[in-house]
Amino acid sequence: MNPAAPRKGFVSKPKALNCPNCGSAIELRALGAAAGVICSYCSSTIDATNPQLQIIGTWKAAMTIEPAIPLGSRGKLKGVLWEAIGFQQRGIEVEGTNYFWREYVLWNPYQGFRYLSEYDNHWNFVTPLQVLPAPSMSGLVYANESYRSFQTARAYTWFVIGEFPWMVQVGEAVDTADYVKPPKMLSSETTENEVAWSQGEYIPGTEIWQAFQLKTPCPPPIGVYSNQPSPYVGRVRSSWLFYGAMCALLLCLMVLFATLAPNKMVLDKNYVVNPATTVEKSFVSDLFTLDGRNDNVEVRITADISNQWVYFSMALINEETGQAYDFGREVSFYSGSDSDGSWTEGGKTDDVLLPNIPGGKYYLRIEPETDPARAGGLKPRIPFRVRIVRGRPFYFRYFLGMFLLLIPPIWTSIRAGSFESKRWSESDPSGASSSNASSEDDE
Amino acid sequence: MSKFYMAYSMLVAGGLAVSSLTGWSPFKPYEKVDGVPKSVRNNPGAYRSHYAGHARYFGGK
Repeated sequence: MNPAAPRKGFVSKPKALNCPNCGSAIELRALGAAAGVICSYCSSTIDATNPQLQIIGTWKAAMTIEPAIPLGSRGKLKGVLWEAIGFQQRGIEVEGTNYFWREYVLWNPYQGFRYLSEYDNHWNFVTPLQVLPAPSMSGLVYANESYRSFQTARAYTWFVIGEFPWMVQVGEAVDTADYVKPPKMLSSETTENEVAWSQGEYIPGTEIWQAFQLKTPCPPPIGVYSNQPSPYVGRVRSSWLFYGAMCALLLCLMVLFATLAPNKMVLDKNYVVNPATTVEKSFVSDLFTLDGRNDNVEVRITADISNQWVYFSMALINEETGQAYDFGREVSFYSGSDSDGSWTEGGKTDDVLLPNIPGGKYYLRIEPETDPARAGGLKPRIPFRVRIVRGRPFYFRYFLGMFLLLIPPIWTSIRAGSFESKRWSESDPSGASSSNASSEDDE
Repeated sequence: MSKFYMAYSMLVAGGLAVSSLTGWSPFKPYEKVDGVPKSVRNNPGAYRSHYAGHARYFGGK
């Protein structure tokens, strides 16, 4: 029979039996397939393979749990109609704390047994393996996929009802080992007599609720589960690739606008500051024309100074509109030597980029000031040069843009790393160390 | 990669293109003053820049 072929829903009806211990009615849904049946009234484990329904054992329930999926309810998962026939709660103890998860036995007469496991509202659809996985350096290889070792533990059955393909009892202990490759995981359960392997695949709780038409609200998952697929899978890689493409685009824009920029010298004049003068120090430059649309204007001042400062209070004034752009620049240069050696401070040139200046006829009003104490020195007059360039290529904004574009991929990488850290924080130390070697995101 | 990142990237690239075309910048090192009299051209002392007389640093060791 082809297990992949679509099937219609099965119509088998449960067989009614009476518990040989308490006499209460038991429904046997997987007759001929189930090995053990647990009476939900007296908690006796009954050998379902024995026509005499022999009691294997009776236990006292340490807890009573109502399965989220009622036994007997049917739901279509992976294209197959399944009936929930068994339920158990298992637990492990880690550093004095018990951690519980729940397992449901699903049955289909054509497909056999499958399982649903649930921990903190994270669900897995579990299929028994027919082929053993092969060991590898970091864990296992199965169906050409590598699984990393995640956790080993000794698990105990705390509560059980319904039918099982083995003689399950409360207190049953198995050694479990989990290997993950989200959204899949491989698990082994080892007892004295056998090792059973299964493959789990992460499935959203909402899918379970929809499949079994459960009336209760679907509780949201808590935390990050071992094989929970990361929502960041592929996003980190693609965001960094996109960032690279955007950087290339910005570089192209930078080259394009640098080529198109007028970068035109509109004024280049030499002037002199005379600190000794007692008359009005301010003066204006010749008229010059700033062409075209709004663009930047660079004003560069070079002063022949040494151990001195000159402050320039300036205004770029539109002769036609009377609009002024006031700004101030200082040129200062100091040098000398001391016990540390020679030193310099400042520079003889200063420039400023005035952005968004409309076209028109302009002149520059310059009002220089300097240290009056130097007026009587050997070189009281200070020559300086003013150069004005229209439409200077301005590269800084592109690097600022690259920095701004860097924020989302960094944020995504941090979130993805945090998700993986949460996942591996629950693993054995050996599993945690192997997680650092690779990123889930890039798979 | 999210739609947000694509939209954000387009916004940044578009902003850069517009600022390159217009010379616009969020950083303005000047003070804009309207209505400067035409007489300033012949009499520079008739107008004082906003930055005139600011305190200055006396550098050097």
